[in-house]
Order: sequence, then structure tokens, then C-alpha cells
Amino acid sequence: MAADARRPPALLSLGAGSAYADDRLDSVAAMAASGRVSYLGFDCLAERTMALAQVRRRQDPASGQDRRIAALVPLLRDYLAAGGKVVGNFGAANPDAARDDFSRALKEVELPGVRIGVIHGDDVRDLVHELDADLPELGTTVRALGDRVVSANAYLGAGGIVDCLREDAQIVLGGRLADPSLFVGPICHELGWDLDDWDRVGHATLVGHLLECGVHSTGGNYEDPPYRVVPDPHHLGFPIGEVSDGSVVVTKLPGTGGAVDAMTMKTQLYYEIHDPAAYLTPDVTADFTGLDVDDLGGDRVRISGARGTAWPETLKVLVGIDQGWRATGEMSYAGPGCVERARRAEEVVRARLAPYASQIDEMRVDLVGMDSILGDRLRGGYPAEVRLRLALRSTSYDVARTAAHETELLYFGPAGGGGNTSSVVPALGVTPAYVPRDLVPVRTEVGVA
Amino acid sequence: MKLREIAASRSGDKGDVSNICVFVYDEADYPLLVQHLTADRVRDHFGALVEGSVVRYELPRVHGLNFVLDRALGGGVSMTLRADPHGKAFQSLVLDIDLPDRAPTGAAAGEETA
Repeated sequence: MAADARRPPALLSLGAGSAYADDRLDSVAAMAASGRVSYLGFDCLAERTMALAQVRRRQDPASGQDRRIAALVPLLRDYLAAGGKVVGNFGAANPDAARDDFSRALKEVELPGVRIGVIHGDDVRDLVHELDADLPELGTTVRALGDRVVSANAYLGAGGIVDCLREDAQIVLGGRLADPSLFVGPICHELGWDLDDWDRVGHATLVGHLLECGVHSTGGNYEDPPYRVVPDPHHLGFPIGEVSDGSVVVTKLPGTGGAVDAMTMKTQLYYEIHDPAAYLTPDVTADFTGLDVDDLGGDRVRISGARGTAWPETLKVLVGIDQGWRATGEMSYAGPGCVERARRAEEVVRARLAPYASQIDEMRVDLVGMDSILGDRLRGGYPAEVRLRLALRSTSYDVARTAAHETELLYFGPAGGGGNTSSVVPALGVTPAYVPRDLVPVRTEVGVA
Repeated sequence: MKLREIAASRSGDKGDVSNICVFVYDEADYPLLVQHLTADRVRDHFGALVEGSVVRYELPRVHGLNFVLDRALGGGVSMTLRADPHGKAFQSLVLDIDLPDRAPTGAAAGEETA
């Protein structure tokens, strides 16, 4: 299965393995065993995941990587033995530790000789300090925040992935590899497309966009009975992309739940995209305004018409900021007068916390069932029950702990408060910055596990 | 009629920006969508949830609209204290918008769109 001088295939099939750090792995085995895909792409990161991983690494230098690798490798053993390839941002804050986890797990399943490629370069904490990078959403700069900046990771594109695949890596991993790039790299490598062939990179980015969110393309985050219902939503199939020059057919494994139809595809096409004519990734400025969606039936949809122009000259960086502690506490009220009793409880909590006001950075109290998500929108009727929800942020752990505990003390507040829960967790914010791409060198390293 | 009767939607988050895509099930309803589901209409409907601008992009080939709501997530997923930090529920809130009823027959609706 070593790369040879063969002609690029006309069609490449790739499967999605994961959409975030805690995604289910139960469909990976079936996808790997299906013989339908030669690449599996694993997106393991969301906006906050990197910063949380950096904090884990600070506490333990051997951690900060994806925590599912030991469980994943046995599911992939036969697939890897048959030459299947895996690309993922398993590294999170510690790509070397992710490689070590893969090496160890491959030994345990007795699969020698697998080549692993590791991509470095996304950790730009020193660079954003040197540049004193602007943080436009906060209206400040990196240096002004001092040691509250706990991480800074640039979104890297497909280049490092292609470099590793050229060196016959079978598993490619890195830190903050951009989500669609996990698929752009394999597609361009296998189909022989140059990384500055912008229309083709735009097309590959479309494929990556549709696969990297996993079941979002197959019926996840979709049902709204009676208008939208999919079969067997308890075991949604992960998407497969059959990529050719200029179009992609998205489908899923037979026997899995969910649906791939025109509407499940459309709802995902522009997910988390702003200007559809200029979707910015590290690889391309993609243009998704000319897409055609062709429902072929049988859970197969063909999409064509993606285009692209040159990549942005800056890379987006997510900067992680230590904001202290976040406390939440909840208490339920039910039956006649539940809203009035919950409001009275809110008054009690606010009065009890008043002495700490100068140490509370932000605070809110909502009633779940009334106004906690969409504001005050109840029109007519009266809720059978509501749940008071206190949330606040403080740089003092003691204040956060005290506030959470106050919701427990509501057992002795207005009548009938029940079911208290509370938590105090680190408040870790992430905010974007932008740095010139030529200041972010990417380094790859390929070796046998 | 409610938008929910004729369209599907999905909302996503990037930082403090929410985007909400809306697609009609029947392409014959697309002109109605373009005419009535304006950026101002969405802004009014969301009220205090959105502190910044609302921009609308038309997607005529797939019969959809993409709304981009700036400063809409209380500072963004990682900063906000809101109960729904991603604004996942925004896709449902938009479907609660009232639209004028369609003309009674398909043919009449077709004329209206011509």
C-alpha cells in the first residue's frame, strides 16, 4: 500500500469519525469495517476545547491530548492493517502525547509498522505576545491581559497534512488543525490537486465542511416533529463523502439511522458560515453561493458548484483567557404560585450576594420554563413548574463557592424549593486574534509508531 | 402562518456571532420568504438577545436565507452566562415568526411569485 506512481483515482471516499472531543465512537467500528472509505477524519476540537486542553497540560505535562485514543485504536485495528488512513486533530494541546498514545495502543493491539505523522506549529502563544496581537471582540490586546492569557492556537490548514501523507504517514495528527482541512489534505493529496488550485480547494473545503460536524449532516440537531422526523435517531449514521472533481455525493452506511436528503444537507451547508461568498479557512476563501443540491434518493445527495479564491493572508488564532470561576446553582419550584415563589427566591439570593458585589464580574438569574433562553415570551397560561437558575463569574473561588451554596440554602427559602444542583468550574474564555500566516511555520515529523 | 410550517432552520456560533439559516421545504415559497423574512423582522423578533447588527444573505439556488447576528451570544460560548450559550435555540425562535398566509391554491401562489 506504499504510495507509488499510480494515477490519481477519479473518486475518493472519506468518512467522518468524530465531530468533537466527547463525540460517540460507537459508529467508528462499523465505518472502519465497511470497506467503504479509505480515510477517516476525526475533528476533536471545539472553540473552548483547546484552551481547556492547555490548562490540563499545565497541570500535567503528559496530558492535553484527546482522551479517546486508547479506546479508539482497537476499533481501527483491522482498518489500519488493511491500509486505511486516519487524520485528526487528536493532539489538541499536546500532539507528541497523542502520538505516544497511538504508539502505545498500536503495540497493545499488536499492529507494528504504522507510520504516524505529527504536525506542530499551531501553538503561537509566544508570537501573539511578541506582536501584542489585537483582540477585537474584547477591545484590548494580548499584553494588556498579562498572564491571564493561557493559550493561543492558530488554525492550521491542509499543508502539513499533505506533507505527512507524502511521507506515507498512515495516521496524521496535530493540534489546532482546522476542521475542514482534516479532509482537504487527504482529498488534495489523493486526487493530485495543488493547494493553490483554489476552485478545487474550495470544493474540498465544502466536503470537509459537510463531514467534520459528523451527524449534523445525517439528521443530528435536525428533528422537529411533526415537520422534520428521521428514522432511528438513536443510532445516527456518520456521513461519508464520495468525492470527484467538481462534485461530492454525501451518504451514510446502510442500516444506520438518520437521513441524508436535500434538507439535512441544506441545513448543514451554511452552518457557522457568515458571508457564503467568502468562507475563510486557512486553505482558501471558499465561495458557496453557487451550490446545487441534487437529492439522488436512497440517502444519497450530490452537491456541486463550490468555488474558491486565494487563502486569507492572516491565520485566525483562538486566544484562551483565564476569567476565574463560573458558579451555577439551580432550584425547582412547582405547583400553584411557582413563579412568584421562584421570584421571591431570586430576591433572597440577590440580597445574600450583595456584600460580594465588587467581586462578582457578571451575574444573572433566570427562571427555566419562563425566560432563561429566549427572554420573556410566555403568552397566556401559567407554567406547571419553573427552575431558578443562578449563574455568575468571579475571580475569587470562595465567592463562586459561596454563591453556588446560596442556591442550596433556598431549601429554607420560599416554600417548596426542591432538587438543588450547583457547580463551580474554571471560567475559561476564548477570543479570536489574527496573525500573518508567514509568521506561523509548520513543522512535520513522520516516523514508525 | 408560522415560518415553521414552511421552513427548516439551523443556528450556529462563532465567538459572539450567531448565524441562522432558513430553507423553505417547497421552492414555491421562496419569494414569500425573501419578501417577509427581512433582517429587520428577525432583529425585531430577537429583541434584546441581539446587541449588534443583523445581516441577511440570500441563497436563491438552494432557496434559503442566512442571517448573521452580531453580538448575539452574550459574549460567546466560552464567556456567556446564558443557559443556552451556543444559541442552539435560535433556530427554533426564528421559526416562530408569523408570515402572511399563502394564497389558497398552488396556482395562485405561482402567480404571486412570477
